[in-house]
Amino acid sequence: MMRGQACGGGDIADHPPAIESAQLLRAYRWMLLARQLDETMWALRRQGKGHFAVSCAGHEAVGAAAGLAVDLATDVLAPHYRDLAACLAWGLTAREVVAHYFGRAADPCTGGRQPYAHWGSRERRIISQEGPQPNVVTHAAGLAYAARLLGEQTVVWSAFGDGGAQKGEVHEAMNFAGIHRLPIVFCVENNLYTQSVPLSKESAVVDLSLRAQGYGMPGISVDGMDLEAVYAAAAVAVERARAGQGPSLIEARTYRFRPNTSNDDDTRYRDPDEVDRWRERDPLPLTRSRLLERGVLSEPDAERMATEIGQEVADAATWAEAESDAEPESALLHTWADRRVRAAAE
Amino acid sequence: MTIAERASAPAEAETDHTLTLIEAVREALDEEMARDARVVVLGEDVGKLGGVFRATDGLQARYGEARVIDTPMMELGIAGLAVGMAMKGLRPVAEIQFADFMHAAADHIISDAARMRFRTQGDWTCPLVVRTAYGGGFRGGPYHSQSVEAYYSHVPGLKVVVPSFPADAKGLLLAAIRDPDPVLVLEHKRTYRAIRGAVPEGEHVATIGQARIVRAGRQLTVVAWGWVLHESLAAAEQLAEEGIEVEVVDPRTLVPLDEATILASIRKTGRLCVVHEDTRTMGFGAELAALAAESALDDLRAPIRRVTMPDVAGIPASGPMEDYLIPDRDRIARALRELAQVDRAAARSIGMPTRGDGAPNAPQIAEQSAQDQALPHRAGSVGAVREPPLPRGADGREARFVRGANWSDLMVASATTVPQATSVVEVDLSKVAARIDDSRAAWAERGIGADYTPFLVRALAAAVARAPQVNAIWDAEARGARRYHALHLGLSVLAADGESARHAVLPDADTRNLFGLAIVVQATREAGAQAPDCLADATISLTDYGPDSALFAVPLVLPGQVAAVRAGAVAERLLARDRGFALAPTVHLSATVDHRALDGMDAGVLLGEMKRFLEEYGGDEA
Repeated sequence: MMRGQACGGGDIADHPPAIESAQLLRAYRWMLLARQLDETMWALRRQGKGHFAVSCAGHEAVGAAAGLAVDLATDVLAPHYRDLAACLAWGLTAREVVAHYFGRAADPCTGGRQPYAHWGSRERRIISQEGPQPNVVTHAAGLAYAARLLGEQTVVWSAFGDGGAQKGEVHEAMNFAGIHRLPIVFCVENNLYTQSVPLSKESAVVDLSLRAQGYGMPGISVDGMDLEAVYAAAAVAVERARAGQGPSLIEARTYRFRPNTSNDDDTRYRDPDEVDRWRERDPLPLTRSRLLERGVLSEPDAERMATEIGQEVADAATWAEAESDAEPESALLHTWADRRVRAAAE
Repeated sequence: MTIAERASAPAEAETDHTLTLIEAVREALDEEMARDARVVVLGEDVGKLGGVFRATDGLQARYGEARVIDTPMMELGIAGLAVGMAMKGLRPVAEIQFADFMHAAADHIISDAARMRFRTQGDWTCPLVVRTAYGGGFRGGPYHSQSVEAYYSHVPGLKVVVPSFPADAKGLLLAAIRDPDPVLVLEHKRTYRAIRGAVPEGEHVATIGQARIVRAGRQLTVVAWGWVLHESLAAAEQLAEEGIEVEVVDPRTLVPLDEATILASIRKTGRLCVVHEDTRTMGFGAELAALAAESALDDLRAPIRRVTMPDVAGIPASGPMEDYLIPDRDRIARALRELAQVDRAAARSIGMPTRGDGAPNAPQIAEQSAQDQALPHRAGSVGAVREPPLPRGADGREARFVRGANWSDLMVASATTVPQATSVVEVDLSKVAARIDDSRAAWAERGIGADYTPFLVRALAAAVARAPQVNAIWDAEARGARRYHALHLGLSVLAADGESARHAVLPDADTRNLFGLAIVVQATREAGAQAPDCLADATISLTDYGPDSALFAVPLVLPGQVAAVRAGAVAERLLARDRGFALAPTVHLSATVDHRALDGMDAGVLLGEMKRFLEEYGGDEA
């Protein structure tokens, strides 16, 4: 466990807040729903029904912890593309997720304009995720600045991968956030690979939280498979941000169990044994057994919960698959506020 | 959003004051920051320094560090922060110090700002402004001189405005800040202090997507923006002195482009020259050329022309090198002068003889049309570059009048192969004489003598507009006449010595103004003796030997043309008027037509229209 490995800032690790049982159960539900949706969407891709899947499997604890740490009524999520659990915490429904996956007209995030895992919802305070990673980090910083200027108490949770963390983009955003002590939490979900390239070829330092020192903010590396460990760091960081003490950097060490996307072949660069070893630390069974240990959940309750979620996911998949695609001509909408794009004259 | 609600109602614009372009930018920012608390400015050195060009001078002192944000040196970050701010409801105005550094910011502008609305179906939007200083002329070298409009005009979802005058700098910036979509404002740094102008005080919001005709003209359309717009205006001034009327269009907005205004101008003038400081290949001029080709090809009298930066990899800091590369007024004027002479002889519409013999069938027309377009038929004029003449008719039976042909043979050909019909009218020139008297002094100041002939040309142009069938080329093979859109006038005038003839072709005689015609007529009279061969390039002829000679004479139609007009001597004659007689300056005009293509009636119509134009002359132009 890497819990409490603070780098530079200090106080994140000093007072790990305890997690309430009810909260733990809530987070577990997000994680389980995310995992089951993920498996269903992965399967639909293999059946040739979906075009493209991006798995969140392995990352669920991070997003769920964020969901617990923030105030979901006010705070903003700038998601990493493996943050399905966080998006569910912020209010996306199973049906909406699968509609987005199929790119149906009912896709509330993009209306079929972006492939899966490009979430976004103004109503749910989820910033639009984009293709070039991780541009959303700078948007998050700008939004945090704006929120404060507008007199709001909003905190922004900005997550990105270890690959994204290497871009100059992130340096610019974190530097600015540090200078202006913005109400933002940066969270690197370090799963050790940028698609195929291992961390050793991405970063000269192993602890990505070390970077925080350069921006005058606290940084901490935590076990990203451990919901409570992530929560402990996240809660402190969110509290700091809300109190006007500025940003923090959390490195959540995690792993992706599946290939980078449904178009990737991870056997070309990862040893299957390595994947198996990490699967032993799967955050779902880990959280489940903790719930059982503490008597928050009984075995029958856990089974029932899994079945209910399974039904919710099956319903979402059936419904979304039957939904209609967007009208082709609707592609001409939404480039401009005030006019439809003229169809190309040929 | 409380801060948004505090946005107060705008004050009405009342009076103008004179500002430089940079002062207008500053005024817009100041007024909008005062009006709307959501407006923030961010960029490098925008705080205490007030921006390297001083666009934000004094703003931080007035609105505080939180709203006038000095950022680290991070163009990508500036753009990305602005995206986030706009998503949250602010109205950020990001300054990218030099357009050359836009490349670093491009990912957020192209991938996010421009696409936010689209990718979220309008759920999230990006109403931000990026202002940047572009353009050369400051010895800034390859990284402080670039023009970037082409890159960003290619980005759907991003509006691109280029104000070239102070009033537009203010109006367009205000419009940009209030626009629901992201707007890139390109300000040419050379205009910042060099260009002054009237700017409405207070509320002055321009409409994004509206071009402006900065200078009206009939002969040529120039579309330009930024510094070279001002150079183009100077070039247009030069050409006006030579009688060539240039219309200068300031698009003001590149995206969305005001196609209607630009096309209307092209349709009016038939010639397009795009001037931009950006490099040539894939520049915005290519888009304008495509627009003209797609939507106004039939109206084009000349190939589209572009005056641009050559495709060099950068603008050098060396003064002589930089000056060599950036289009200036002289280079633009040269291009416009050449363009004004070119005519691609808009032969696409095939005019049939009104009551002619043996109309060609459709395949013949199509074939002829294809040949027409392949043939280099250009009008020449005094000093103009000549193209090779049209070949003789393939059947060899009927020679078309070509340069180098023996004049006597041609006259014989005219008399023996062209059935000719002639009409004559008497024209009262009182009103024209009055106009000449009015103008005599002004023209003399510019070295131009008073002369009836320019009025005759104007009359002929007016008549051709009403009776276009007379402006045509007889086509022996098709046994029909091809009408011309362009009026290329074969002008034969009495030489300055009063004893001999001078000949010239006036391309686009219909687009020239009176004074321009006067210049050309005088130049022709004063030119050295020359053979009349050049008349081969004309579509109709006018001869003015009359002033010192006959009452009237019968003009011969030059083989190929279908009509010729001749003026007799202008003299005071008694005319019946108001049940009595009056003494008036009078001329007799005669017209001959090729009877295969036209009727005698057409000669009558032609002369009737000329007579009406001259007798009712009301000063159709300045």
